[in-house]
Amino acid sequence: MSAGAPPLSGPPRPQAKGLNCPKCGAAIVLRSFGQAQTVVCASCRCILDAKDPNLAILQQFEAITRDVKPLIPLGTRGKLRGTDYEVVGFQRRSTKVDGITYYWHEYVLFNPYKGIRYLSEYNGHWNDISICKQLPMSEGTSANYLGEIYKHFQTCDASTDFVLGEFPWQVRVGEHAAVTDFVHPPRVLSSEKLDKEVSWSIGEYMYGREICDAFKLPGDPPEAMGVYENQPSPITINVAGIWVTFAAFAVFLLALMAAFDMRAKKEPVLQQTYQFNRADAKSETSFVSDEFVLGGGTSTVEVKTSAPVDNHWIYLNYALINQDTGQAWDFGREVSYYHGYDNDGSWSEGKRTDSVVIPSVPAGHYYLRIEPEADPSLPRIAYTVDVIRDVPVFGIYGIAFVALLLPALVISWRAYTFERSRWSESDHPPMQLSSMSSSSEDDE
Amino acid sequence: MFRKFYLLYGLLTLSTVAYGQYRGWSLDTVNQLKNVPKSVRDNPGSYRTVYAGYHHYTGGK
Repeated sequence: MSAGAPPLSGPPRPQAKGLNCPKCGAAIVLRSFGQAQTVVCASCRCILDAKDPNLAILQQFEAITRDVKPLIPLGTRGKLRGTDYEVVGFQRRSTKVDGITYYWHEYVLFNPYKGIRYLSEYNGHWNDISICKQLPMSEGTSANYLGEIYKHFQTCDASTDFVLGEFPWQVRVGEHAAVTDFVHPPRVLSSEKLDKEVSWSIGEYMYGREICDAFKLPGDPPEAMGVYENQPSPITINVAGIWVTFAAFAVFLLALMAAFDMRAKKEPVLQQTYQFNRADAKSETSFVSDEFVLGGGTSTVEVKTSAPVDNHWIYLNYALINQDTGQAWDFGREVSYYHGYDNDGSWSEGKRTDSVVIPSVPAGHYYLRIEPEADPSLPRIAYTVDVIRDVPVFGIYGIAFVALLLPALVISWRAYTFERSRWSESDHPPMQLSSMSSSSEDDE
Repeated sequence: MFRKFYLLYGLLTLSTVAYGQYRGWSLDTVNQLKNVPKSVRDNPGSYRTVYAGYHHYTGGK
């Protein structure tokens, strides 16, 4: 136990055992007592047999890994999920995939009453790992542990590059193990096969800040890069549930549309046909319609204009005027229709009818002021004006539909991109990525 | 949390639609004027529309 550190919880006060390295003579401190199978000399990095009273040298240190420094120094104590632990061992491991070497770090934690557990760190992603209490059931691409199904993520060959401190197994630098990970975020179930021995462990994702707080490490934790295999998704909600809610809203919206459509009076209050004569256009062209009554309450008013235009236009300046209050709704509408033939075949643009819906028109006596204009090449044309009270506006339902759809789409997209990032690093990448990689392999 | 927000948001959207339909909302924009003189009925030329002088489409392909 390092000097000055607070004692671990519990009545007995464990004492570290002091020994010396048989190679360099440096003091060796055994923190985990009988739990350690091997201990690494902090000075010369020789791997020593912790079970041997003379600390027999098991493996000489390889100088190439001398500069690896653990983020949590050995001997550091902290409270992890309510239990005091001391960091007694550290190893760096690596795997090579497609010519790229990926490194991660593993820490051995020890509590004299709770035993050993581990922390792993890869690119700022941490996992709190313990040995499985039951043997998981592995079935092809999934595994079942304590009733929870874990999906196969990847299998790789992990090699041990660097070791420091104490280990509850016969650790060696250069040792290779087949590691298989199954995930069920935030947990990861790992099997490690070394020779004929298979060991299973269960890990739970932890954030760097939690680790720093637990071990009171100075500064900020290394920033987590990318999405880790068992990192919990920031989209904590059930995406399918959101779509069910959306479907319910859509059905309700349809019901609302049907109800308001049935309720709408669609009452024609004026239908008149007028004639535009260019000969008269030199004088004042504006005129007013017959008076009409808009009954009921405040409602929409549709003004429809139809004219038999043929490669021409007609434009009508309208004002719907309330005779009683002097309130007016001023708007201009064009009816134009063009058609013809060109190299692409026949074409047409515009329509012979136009419609506008005036919002929130109160009941009262009204008339239309109409001021027509027309294509200069058009000598005369007849046009019909229809005024209909209380018509439904379906565009509002369209906007509402999009407004309801948008949050569901955004959430689904965020969840999808997160999972896509996660699985792109696995042995089962998303379809596009796998097809892309296979096509690039074909190119080679 | 989001689900609650979405429920509230959806109900608010549907309520707005229902209120809008009840009040006769429309997506078309028209210019609203007040106190148009009663004389327009007898002299339509005395009213000047804001839409006069609109540039008309004369095209086709």
